[in-house]
Amino acid sequence: MLAIQLAITGLQTGALYALTAVGFSLIFGSTRIFHFAHGAAFVIAAYFFYAAFGAGWGVIPAIGVSAFGAVAFGLLLDRLVYVPIQRHEGSFFTVFVASFGVGIAVQNVIGMIFGRGYVTVNTTLSRSVEVIPEVYVSPLAWIAIACAAVFLGGLGFFLKRTHTGMALRALADNPELVRTFGLNPRAIQAAAFAIGSVIVVPAAIITSATTGLSPAIGHHVMLISLAATIVGGIGSIPGTMLAGVMLGLAESLALLVVDTQWTEAVTFAILFAFIIIRPSGLLGRATAH
Amino acid sequence: MTPVPGKPVLQTSTLAAGYGGRPVISGIDLSLMKGEVLCMIGHNGAGKSTLLKTMFGLLAPGEGSVSVDGTDMTGRTPRDIADMGVAMVPEGRGIFPSLTVTEIFALGMHAARVPKEERAERVDWVLNILPVIREFMHRPASTLSGGQQQMVSIGRALLSRPRILLMDEPSIGLAPKLFQDLLAPIRTLQQREGLSILLVEQNVKEALKISDRAVVMKSGQLIWEGDPGELSDNDRLMELY
Repeated sequence: MLAIQLAITGLQTGALYALTAVGFSLIFGSTRIFHFAHGAAFVIAAYFFYAAFGAGWGVIPAIGVSAFGAVAFGLLLDRLVYVPIQRHEGSFFTVFVASFGVGIAVQNVIGMIFGRGYVTVNTTLSRSVEVIPEVYVSPLAWIAIACAAVFLGGLGFFLKRTHTGMALRALADNPELVRTFGLNPRAIQAAAFAIGSVIVVPAAIITSATTGLSPAIGHHVMLISLAATIVGGIGSIPGTMLAGVMLGLAESLALLVVDTQWTEAVTFAILFAFIIIRPSGLLGRATAH
Repeated sequence: MTPVPGKPVLQTSTLAAGYGGRPVISGIDLSLMKGEVLCMIGHNGAGKSTLLKTMFGLLAPGEGSVSVDGTDMTGRTPRDIADMGVAMVPEGRGIFPSLTVTEIFALGMHAARVPKEERAERVDWVLNILPVIREFMHRPASTLSGGQQQMVSIGRALLSRPRILLMDEPSIGLAPKLFQDLLAPIRTLQQREGLSILLVEQNVKEALKISDRAVVMKSGQLIWEGDPGELSDNDRLMELY
């Protein structure tokens, strides 16, 4: 029964990891911008929900506020930080440092406003119920899995069937050719930031009601996103989804054999194993393009 | 060769451009006449691709001007220039490897703002010009051969039904026979529809066969202009290229 319990918990964690990581993977895969501040988008989405819900706005308006915060942050960061760096042909490292700096700034601002300790959104949905003998699952776990299925399925459809989705894939292949087609790479890049930021919102909201929030949670989110992107295969959205779920399951099932303090280390053991044995990841291309 | 009609559709005047402050082309005065195939030849690094990119708005000019049908388009975006009826087949393979041919065509028509109700008809029109594309419409472009990818690139450019087509070394990586097969329908289309084509090529002999006029570029400047027959007879220039 413990294994089933851990598997269900792992699926919930994995669903949230997948949602978080896919946003980063979409942005990095299509724009080649190392958006380290993706973790900050998660923090903003989570705290905006926490503040709006706590102020009695109700779930739907609070979700709207959360989504607005995440998307506005992504778009502003792209417009005010990344685009100017690109215009001056700044290096990958310049982008990384700028993004890292913004992440730290967001963490501190959130800490000043909401405090540095853990906060949690109280809801009856986080109370576990016994679904089969000795296996307890909260409604939020099912919501997390359903959200991941809907959002990730929707993203797959969007990338395959819409012109903006095709343009995002085209941008990942060849930005210069995108211009030759007569498309605007900056507009497509902005779309990548908007979509990549909004997809993190359900994970941020559910996390606020399950494990709780702290301003520093963005770093953990970013590390998981990076690990899932590499394990899944850089540039592969399905690979990142799969890797997110796999890492969540592995962290949870590892409790069968190791103490809780080692669960996060499992993620990085898997990451290092992939880097050494299969650097192209689960579904990535074998060679760079 | 067909006679060259008189009206210029694409013109540059004392055009100069480069990368990172380093000039690559300078003082380029070039006119592409309505309904002609103008062949531009020159060594690697002569500035041919830089000139095409500047004409199409992919590169900002340092000096001079570009005009389409007499309208000044200097410094305008590729989209603005495409809206004037210009399309470009870029150097290398103008395809997105992760997209299927159908998706590349759909994205190309979306970018060119082809009305939705006309899109199926446009694709049929291109498939009639390059019928072999039918065989691999649903395959990812990365799985196609070099010749097939070049056909897709040309087909995509034609989907906007341009009046002016800029082609940057379409023969690269192709066998001479394949290049001939590729050029034949383009030449037919050009004669039938009055398309104006600026063809940048290193495969000089094949390119001159279908051209009405030729220019030679060296070290960022145009050094010769005239009839393709004259160029073919000019041993000194032909030895160079």
